[in-house]
Formats: sequence, structure tokens, C-alpha cells
Amino acid sequence: MVVETAAAAPNTARFHGRADRMWMTLSGFRAAPIALFWVVIVALLALPVLLFLIVAFSPRLFDQGPEWFTLSAFQQAFSGSLAVGIVNSLFVGVASAVVAAVVGFAVAWLVVRTDVPFRRLWSGAMFALLLAPSYLVALGWERLLEPQGVLDTSGIHPDAVRTLFYGPFGVVFVLAIKGLPFAYLAISSALRGLGEEFEDAVRVHGGGRIAATRVVIALLAPAIWSALAIVFAESVSDFGVAATLANDAHFPVATYTLFNSVEAFPIQFPVAAAVGWVLMGLAGIALLAQGWALRSRSYRVLSGRSRPARRIHLSPGARRGAFGGLTLLLMLGLGVPVFAAVAASLIDNLGTLLGSHGLTLSNYADVLTNGDVRYALLPPLLYSAQAAAITATIAVVLGAVVARLLTRSGPHVSARLLDLLLLTAVALPGIVFAAGYIFTYNQPVLSHIGLRLYGTTALLILGYVATALPATSRVLVGTVSQVQDSLFEAGRVHGSSAMGAWLRTVLPVLARPLITAWLLCFGATLFELPVSELLLAPGHEPLSVAITHVLQGYWFSQGTAMEVISVLVALAVVSLAWGLFRLLAPHGWQRVGRVNA
Amino acid sequence: MTATIQASDRTLNGHAVSVAGAIKRYGMCAALDNVNLEIRAGRFLVLLGPSGSGKTTLARCIAGVERLHGGSICIAGAVVDDGRRQLPPERRDLAMLFQDYALWPHLTAVGNVEYALRRRHLARVEGHRRALQALEQVGLESLADRYPHQLSGGEQQRVALARAVVARPGLLLFDEPLSNLDADLRERLRVQIATLVRDSGATVVYITHDQAEAFALADDIAVLHRGKVVQFATPEDVYARPATLFVARFTGAAGELPGSVVAIDGAHVIVQVQGLRLRARNSGDLAVGSSARVLVRPAGTRIVAADRLDESTLRGTIVDVAYRGRGYDHVFRCDAGILTGIFAPSRWPRGSNVGVGIDPDSCVAYATVPDTAIDGVERRTPLGITTAETGVVDVVGTGLLAHETG
Repeated sequence: MVVETAAAAPNTARFHGRADRMWMTLSGFRAAPIALFWVVIVALLALPVLLFLIVAFSPRLFDQGPEWFTLSAFQQAFSGSLAVGIVNSLFVGVASAVVAAVVGFAVAWLVVRTDVPFRRLWSGAMFALLLAPSYLVALGWERLLEPQGVLDTSGIHPDAVRTLFYGPFGVVFVLAIKGLPFAYLAISSALRGLGEEFEDAVRVHGGGRIAATRVVIALLAPAIWSALAIVFAESVSDFGVAATLANDAHFPVATYTLFNSVEAFPIQFPVAAAVGWVLMGLAGIALLAQGWALRSRSYRVLSGRSRPARRIHLSPGARRGAFGGLTLLLMLGLGVPVFAAVAASLIDNLGTLLGSHGLTLSNYADVLTNGDVRYALLPPLLYSAQAAAITATIAVVLGAVVARLLTRSGPHVSARLLDLLLLTAVALPGIVFAAGYIFTYNQPVLSHIGLRLYGTTALLILGYVATALPATSRVLVGTVSQVQDSLFEAGRVHGSSAMGAWLRTVLPVLARPLITAWLLCFGATLFELPVSELLLAPGHEPLSVAITHVLQGYWFSQGTAMEVISVLVALAVVSLAWGLFRLLAPHGWQRVGRVNA
Repeated sequence: MTATIQASDRTLNGHAVSVAGAIKRYGMCAALDNVNLEIRAGRFLVLLGPSGSGKTTLARCIAGVERLHGGSICIAGAVVDDGRRQLPPERRDLAMLFQDYALWPHLTAVGNVEYALRRRHLARVEGHRRALQALEQVGLESLADRYPHQLSGGEQQRVALARAVVARPGLLLFDEPLSNLDADLRERLRVQIATLVRDSGATVVYITHDQAEAFALADDIAVLHRGKVVQFATPEDVYARPATLFVARFTGAAGELPGSVVAIDGAHVIVQVQGLRLRARNSGDLAVGSSARVLVRPAGTRIVAADRLDESTLRGTIVDVAYRGRGYDHVFRCDAGILTGIFAPSRWPRGSNVGVGIDPDSCVAYATVPDTAIDGVERRTPLGITTAETGVVDVVGTGLLAHETG
């Protein structure tokens, strides 16, 4: 049967404009933004890393030795204490990742899903932990436990604790404390986006509270594996603890033995590169473990249909227990180092045998007034704050793109490649990365084409972005994987351009995680040490270098005063960012991911 | 195949849509394999097919959120996708209702609806007024300030519906919008969708795997199978003259009876089934002596009491009965197989020995081919024996054979 009806003139007027023809033509270049993205990634990460790694095999290629092909760099790298260092790094990485993920999950659960008292305090404490450089935490504990340290001079002799701390336990302890914020942020972001319907489904199908928790853990797998991978890679590539506690405890780890091998002048790039290969191998293990655990599964659970979870009301006993546990954690991670730093900054003439050792605020006045250029705080603080803000902005934009590419459904070889590249970059110690930047961007060929980046602030920021991007994108991957594609597609079919749809439909959902990632990146960059040391622009001393130089000059009081002020400034930026979000963000943006009281 | 649809005279704002040789691949798998469609302006087209048949992919390509690898799509006479270049979705003057609703969690119900009016560049007050009006049309004006998670599934769906129609686009796409709802709500929302979109005059492309929903809504139906359009016709044609055994099965069958062709009579064939000579429409590829399957529509069956049997009725037993309000659906078992959905106003008890009379116009005969060649799924009984091997007739989607043999 054919429907016989009169035909009416169809509406054809809307599709013959010049603009439409332009859009059609432009769509032929749709690969251009992705191509540009890959150019940036290659220039930022792949090129410096690759050229640097090649030099391990072929020193002659870059005028670093006589041989076109040799394995002598690896022979050097695997001889002596370096092999011990590698084994130690592997152990430390795994142990700290597991501890940080377990503790981070517990903290995230308590803060996001229960009515534990002072929730904002614990959330803020994680940021504070993040901002504390690892060497500061390590030195704080050392100052407390070392012979003739604070406890000894107070008449308490913690010999057993000292023996335990000056060894693998202490190194794992400090690195797990440093890894805790990464685990917490990755897991709590995902936990906020997880509606309670999955737990309800377990409960109504006969499962108890433990069974529901197991389901939540399974659904949070991407975030948990992200936490494990990032803490492992951060721990393996850490330099601050390696150079302080691990070294003092005669517990060599790979980064410090590597540092020893490149400390000599001229830098032995081939040997450093050989160690870089080993660390990259360790990163590969983390990637394989993460990929194996998540293969062929979908974790898209965040959509307009999700219902925010209700808070669990803890019993009085449980509340007291949770509060006590979190307080102890805060004291262990922050209390001791902060106490040490603040105490040192308030003591006059610390580190010298001359003069009185009374309490004073003059150290703060010294560093803030710029009276003595040797320990003037404001110029390096402002310089680093600007560099960190630029770095964080670039890293978050690139990180969001990376997270989107990594979480696309279906098999993508490019995504696997990107993942490998980023995790490799995470595992490469900052000092090696910085050496790679010097090595690559100081090549004569770049000068010939007029690209003179070496010794400029631009190269310093590129180095910061390169080191920050892997961690930033890892933090974002957990939440981005939960955002359903249909939110963005609905924006497109209802009249928004790609950018407009992203800004109006996806950005509001991702606003909190993006701000979290920005602040994380800002804080990490503000206190970044190895890249700052090697890539600083003459005449512009970054904050971490300035503080280190002041401490090396035995101005302990001024140095610690600089630390205290800088940490307070960083915390102020965090507070300001969230305050502005609360003040300026539309009501709906603030509702997304919020838990019902 | 290419099919042309006659446009209805209620067309006011709808866009004609033309799909020519559309190809879309996911890796090695062809989701769309040379699809051709001509949809005249203002028509309500339903894309009907099982999971994986390519219907969602086709709708997403029309929407512009997926890109073709070959072929072309025209909307309102203009090429919007030629396999190399694509017009972005926001410039196609369309709206889409997603299976998961895709309501933006940071916007209220009215905020979600207002969003779709951005393209009309209305004053803020006017936009808000129209959004509220659209919510009123779906009966949700009192919930305008609620966020999506504060609404029930049906309410969320109605907000999505208001969002889709508020800007009066020329083309509306619906991706299985009722699949997540309960039966009562499905029916009410189906009526609401039909009313709203027909008032708007837009062309509609509606995806479903539910043949009842398709028949109820469609001006025309395109049945998809393995990325191809296997039939494109009015609902009446699809039901009465299913082009293939797959279409016939998918659009509702009481069962299939195996037999052999003994005569050809114009557009009909005579098939010998269980001692009976059944008259059925010839699907077009049968010859005398060839084995055939006679597909029987439920509407063409009637139960005959045991004392009134004649040579034109199948003899067997009632094995199950289900009350349907207006009467009873029976399941009938005979030597040739099982027939389901046989309606009678009164109940025939299980175990009754009865006959079933079959209307020739409700039968279509097809050449016997393996099941895997028809729908790609080799059907197995719980005992692991294929229906083709045993000659036992299973009924699409009923699971009755499992009940009987298990």
C-alpha cells in the first residue's frame, strides 16, 4: 500500500548559506586540531625524552662520545650501587602506592560519604600535604628523630623508632604520605560523581554494606588504578626524599644514584639516559597492571540520571574513631614537618653558634622587606607564582584533552601510545627530564633555525608543563571517564558549536575536578625543584631555588620563614580559587557532584 | 535499496532527508553497509531493527555526531555529509532525544529546555516563556526549577521531549526514547510524542526495536538488518507483505510451519503442511517441489472446537493460555510446530484438543534457508539441537520451545 497524499514544499531555505559551505570545507580539516595537539605533545614530551634516551645507545649521534652504538652506558648504569638502587626503587614504589591508595580511599570515603566531623579540614589537609615538598616532610621528621634532634634534646630518646625510620620503612612512609593527596583527589573526584543507585542496587538484591562497598570499589576501579599508577610513578621518580632521608639512611634509590652519576661535570648524559630506560621500564609495569585490570570494561556511570549519594551517619564511636584516625594522619604527615619549619623560622640565629637563640619574628621581616637580596622572598615568589599559574592553565587544558583521548571508547592505538608516553614522563625523574630538555633544546640545529629557548623563562615553563602534564591528566582521567558522551552530543544537536557545547555542557560537570587539577598543578610547580635548578633563566630565580640557596647558605631561620610564607601563599590561592568558585559559579555547577546533606 | 516516501499534506516545517549509499565502519565491522533512504518532508519514519542492526548509527550520522565513511546524507536538499566533509550538528536544524535522555545535570528542567532555544536568538524573557510553555505541553510546568536528579525517569524523559521540540527544528531524531520506561508510561509518552511532533510538522526519524511501537507511530518503517535496509514501506505493507523471513519474524509471527510447495496460483502458493494444503502469499522465490516455511501472523489464526474440525484445520493441543483483558492468547502445539498468540474471546483450558484455522492472507511462504542466513543467529534448543536439524518450529522470542523441551 502506498500513501497517496499531496506533497508540500519542504523547508530548504536554511542550508544554502555561505557559512554552511564554509563549515563543510572546514570539516575536511577536522584532523588539524588533533595533529596540532600531537605536535605539542611531541615537542613537549616525546622529542626531549626520545633524543635523550637514544643517547644511551649512540653517544656519537649527539657528540657525547666516540661510539655510534654502544651499551657501555648500561654497563656503567648496572654496576655497583645502581642495581641496588633500582631494586629499592621498585620496592618503595609498590609499597608506597599500595599504602597511599588504601589510606587515600579510606580518607576519600570518610570525607565524601560520611558525616565525619570537620570534613573540609581533611580535604584542605590533603591540599596542604600536596603543597609540601617531599624533602620538607623528610627533613621535618629527621629533625625530630635525628641524634641530638628535637626529641633527644627534650630528653626523649626514640632509638627504636629512629632505627625503623632511617631505612625502607621511613622512605616508604614519607613517600606514601606524599602520594596520599594524589590518591585522595583521584578517588574522591570519582566517588563524588558516583550516584548511590549502584549501592542501592546491591542492598535491594540482598547484599550487605560490605557487598555494596565492594561494588563501589569495583566501579571506582579507574580512579583506584589511576591512584596506584600515579603514586608508584611519583615515588619512583621522587628526588626530594632520595636526596635527604634515603641518602642519610644509606638506602640508595635509583634517582639518587642517577644524580650521583650526573653530578660530575660534564654531565654524563649517556649514563643518565641508561638509568632513564630502567625507570621507564618500571613505569611500563604500572601501565601494564592498570591496562590489564581495566581492559574491555566500561565505567561510564556519571550522567544526568545519577542521584547524588546520601551521607552515611556514623555512630558516635565510629565518628570518634574516624576523627582520631584522620587527626593522627594529619599529625604524621603535616604536624611534625610544619612544627619543625615554624619552630625553626621563629628561632633567632638558628644554625650558628653565635648570638642568642630566642624566639623572634624578625626572620619574617627580613625575607619580606627585601633588605638583603640574599634572602629576599618577594621577587622569586612572584616570579614562580606567575610561572606556576601559566603552567597550571596550559597543563589543565592539555590534560583535559589527554584525558578525553585516553577515555574514548573502543580500541585506539594513539591512546595507548599517549598513555605510555605520559606514564613514562611521570616516571622519569624531574632532574633527568630537565637534563633531557637542556640536551634537546640546546642542540645547535635549533639555534640555526632561530629557536633559541635555552636559558629563557619560556623553556622553564615548557619544562614545568611537561613534568606537570602526566600527573594532571592522570587526575582528570578518573572523572572524564565517567562523563557520558551524550551530554556533549546533546549540546551539539541542540545548536551549540563544539567549543560552545563543551563549555556549556561538559565544563560545568567537570568544573570541580578541573579546579582541583589546576590547584594541584599550581602547588606542585610553585615548589618544583629539579627542573627549576637546571632550566632557570638567568636573573630570574625560581622560589624553590631561592629557598634552597638560602638554606645552603646556613640562613636556616630565613629559609624556613620563606618556606612558611610560601606555603601560606599557596594555601591562600587554594582558598581564593574555591571561594571564587562558590561566589561566581552558577548554582547548577555547584550542585554537580555535591552530596546531599 | 532505495525507497521513496510520499509526503503528507500536514507538512509545514519538516526537512526532507536523503541517505545515499551510506557506509560507516567501526574497525572491521560495517555498521552501515550501503544504506539508501528517501524521507519526504514531514514524514514520521521509524527505523526498526534488532540490536546491532545499525539503526542508532544511522540516526547519529544524520544528526552529525557520527561521520560517514562513504555515501552521502542530504537534509532539506543540501549535502550535510559526503563521507569527507560534514556540516556540524548545530547547523543541521535538528534536535535529538537520547536513549539516556542526556539532560545536563547542572541545569534545571527549564534551563535544559531553554538551552535548545539558544539557536533561535530570542530575548531572555521570551526564551524562558517558550521553555515554560514547552514544559507545560508535557505537563511539567510545576517542576520547571527542579534539577534532573530530582525528577523521575518519566519526568526526565518529558523534559528531554520538551527540549527536543521547543525550538521547532525541521528534523527530530529519537533514539529508543521509551526503552527505559515501564509499560504504562511508555504508552502515555508514546501518545505524547506522537501528538507533539505531529503538531510541530517536523520530519521524524524514530529508532526502536519494538515492532508494536513502530506500527503505532510510523508513517513509514525502514527495517534494518546487519547494516542494510531490508524493507522500506508503510506499516501496513511491512505487516502484510514482509519482504524477507527476517522482517516477517521481527514484526510478529505466531509461528512457522515447514512444508513443501505443491502448486503455484498467481501471487500465492499451495504448501503441503502436516497433511494440509495451506494457501499462502508467495514471497517470490518458490517453485513447485521446493521446501518452504510458512510464516503465520497471529491475527490470521482462529481456534476451532474438536467437534468441528475439517481438512483445512491444523490439529493439536492447547499448551498454554494467557489472559489479555479483551480475551485470551493461546499457545497451540501440533506435529508441525508451535503457534502462539492465537486469540479467542473465551478461555480454552490447557490440554484441550482443538484445531486452528489459518487465513491465507495472513500466511507468507519463504524458501527454506538456514536460520543463520536469515538473522545470523543459529537457534538452539536447551538440548543443544538446532531447530533446523529437528524440524521443530521455534517461535521468535517466545522461548516456548524451551518451556516444552525443558
